[in-house]
Amino acid sequence: MSSQLAELLWAEKYRPRSLKEMVNQEEIVKRLQKFVEEKNMPHLLFVGPPGTGKTTAAHCLAHDMFGENYMQYMLELNASDERGIDTIRTKVKEFARSKTPPNIPFKIVLLDEADNMTADAQQALRRLMEMYTVSTRFILIANYPSKIIEPIQSRCALFRFTPLKKEDVVARLKWICSQEGCEYDEEALEVIYEISEGDMRRAINILQAAAALGKITVDIVYKVVGLARPQEIRMMLKLALEGRFTEARNELRKLMVNYGLSGIDVIKQIHREVFGPEFKLPEDVKVMIADYAGEIQYRLVEGGDDEIQLNAFLAWLALLGRKLRAAGE
Amino acid sequence: MMRLLPGERLPWVIKYRPKRISDVANQEQAKKLFIPWLQSWLRGRIPEKKAALFYGPPGCGKTSLVEAAAHEYKLELIEMNASDFRRKEDIERIAKTAATQLSLFGRRRIILLDEVDGISGTADRGGLEAILELIRVTRHPVVMTANDPWSQRLRSLREASLLVPFNRLSNRVVVEVLSRICEAEHVYCERAALMYIAKRAEGDLRSAINDLQAIAEGYGKVTLDIVEGIVASRDREYSPFEALRHLFMSKYAWQAKRAVTHSNVDYDTMMQWINENIPNQYTDPEDVWRAYEALSRASVYLGRIKRSMSWDLLSYVFDMMGPGVALARKKSKFKWVKYSFPQRIVMLARTKEVREVREALAAHLASRLHVSKAKVKLEVLPFLSIIFRERPDYAARIAIGYGLTERMVKYLAGPAANEVMEHVNMLLMRMEKPSKVTEHAPRTTTTAPATATTTAEEAHSHRRRRSTTRRTTRRRRRKTSSSRQTTLF
Repeated sequence: MSSQLAELLWAEKYRPRSLKEMVNQEEIVKRLQKFVEEKNMPHLLFVGPPGTGKTTAAHCLAHDMFGENYMQYMLELNASDERGIDTIRTKVKEFARSKTPPNIPFKIVLLDEADNMTADAQQALRRLMEMYTVSTRFILIANYPSKIIEPIQSRCALFRFTPLKKEDVVARLKWICSQEGCEYDEEALEVIYEISEGDMRRAINILQAAAALGKITVDIVYKVVGLARPQEIRMMLKLALEGRFTEARNELRKLMVNYGLSGIDVIKQIHREVFGPEFKLPEDVKVMIADYAGEIQYRLVEGGDDEIQLNAFLAWLALLGRKLRAAGE
Repeated sequence: MMRLLPGERLPWVIKYRPKRISDVANQEQAKKLFIPWLQSWLRGRIPEKKAALFYGPPGCGKTSLVEAAAHEYKLELIEMNASDFRRKEDIERIAKTAATQLSLFGRRRIILLDEVDGISGTADRGGLEAILELIRVTRHPVVMTANDPWSQRLRSLREASLLVPFNRLSNRVVVEVLSRICEAEHVYCERAALMYIAKRAEGDLRSAINDLQAIAEGYGKVTLDIVEGIVASRDREYSPFEALRHLFMSKYAWQAKRAVTHSNVDYDTMMQWINENIPNQYTDPEDVWRAYEALSRASVYLGRIKRSMSWDLLSYVFDMMGPGVALARKKSKFKWVKYSFPQRIVMLARTKEVREVREALAAHLASRLHVSKAKVKLEVLPFLSIIFRERPDYAARIAIGYGLTERMVKYLAGPAANEVMEHVNMLLMRMEKPSKVTEHAPRTTTTAPATATTTAEEAHSHRRRRSTTRRTTRRRRRKTSSSRQTTLF
């Protein structure tokens, strides 16, 4: 009981550091270990659903390749956080000039969420990959391979990460519980798996919050998940459908300002909520809502202002609500 | 909501607000009806109609008369605006005040409900009911103002009120007031210039005074040359308020387009003004939606322009945000409403600090968890926040683990912030044992954001300070801390 005073998020604390520690994706791990043995690798493209170990695998690979201080030989970028391809280009350029590892002739650029880049930016990225191909290897990470342009795909070795199996996730959660000495109901861990849809990171986040509240039971898990979901989403939908547009708009502003959600985050959450169990509407109406939500999301992607687009959505809901009430009477 | 920046002058419409009833320009007929009614209240005889409804064109002195009367008779003025009527509870709160006899300081009250015609139809039916109830229970005079009192909706209010008509002010009266202000301000003015301003204001004294102030402060004098020049250019440059008024009044596409292209704010900002005020202006949900749909398209077109840099598409943006919005009105009637400043801009300004903290927190955790900031905000912060609110002791360890600043802790823990910070401080004292600090601290110090004092940094300063000065207490504390050590789970 060397009582660690400082605690970390378990998603970081229990992240495997070396390929040896990875418990899933055995085929992929084997292939990656080959690269380590050969001290060489092509550009890599990791694709798969969130929380299946793509980023972890990249870090483990770099760790095993370069040793404990691997971060000095790896540039980690997240396409969603970088302001456009120009900043990425500048950073890569600078990184390529920095010192090289002792035994290995290249360094690694890890570009996460690469499928968030536009096709144009990806073209520029492709040229970048060619320009520095002698001294750097790229690891690109994406959820959907189809969102990565063909010329990049053809330059990379593709690794498909499969969704984690229930046994694997539950076993990992159990192992963490045993390390932390927390009590749990077996069923609760299964519920965590169901809710997180095989996303290990999300599962671990839920586990830690649940553990903080006490013994991990099914009830606690649901409580945690309920607390974590902004209540404003449901409130906003309810108000809009009742025709109270201005109040619904206030809830929307709270979501965007207080939680820092983007328009796309909000519309996605709305979509999830509408098809969720607590939302009582006729099934065909749910489909209509989804249809318009899809349109609004597209407008957001096209560069429409977040609040204006969502207000259009709420105004439409208010109208829909009135029609439903009229039909019901 | 009026805030003055240093060096900014008080608007003359406020500075020269009538202090006495006799100062209120013209409107003798209104005074003849209103004053006896008010005096009857003050003498303790409650008149048959407990409310008065002032109606007339904008800027003719309705609100001013109430304010002057309150000032002259030393009444406490309780004021409520159209935008506040939307919520029944707010009216009910005022109603409670109205029903009690005296104010805290023993002063009598007068209650002003400004712009009651801003109440929309069905959605605010509760609001209208609440006002009627207020009139039923009130023990103080209630005055309401409206531009147009004749709509069907306001019938019940009309029946419950003494109707007090206000006339459009003549140009002569407006010029009179303007010239008195010029005198008081020591501003040189030509009568012809004042006449020009008055004519353009069409009996709206408020807007005439605003025009006068703009010219006088801009040029130091008010001559016909200047006024003609300014007013002509102001025809092309509308303030957002004016632009909105023109926009929503438009009957033709060209008028609406002109309103948005001639506003003195850029199109992004103008869009926010329209975004804010569509539901103020339109009452029918179908109109509201049509207007938003048009605005939504305008915003998408603007997005496309910014991406592709094809600025010749800008005309279509104006088409949608102007005519598209204006001609969306099919069912709502045009009404005078008070337009509001875009609340989003206000909110963003007010929450700047919180958002900065969240951004810093997201960036900090993103680098540790190897995910994007957006993912941290969406998937990590909500769970972290639960831990911080529900388990302050455990949260404190995480705060130390990540070297979070006090502001970050506040952001995550909300009401439990103090408790978390107490635990943090307690833990930091325990960390004095050098071996432990070196075991765990370096991690936090290397990654802690350099902008603020972090708890990790505090840990170091604590250690240094205490190790030199308070050895004995330290030893004692170390002993207690080891016996107090608890496992978390």
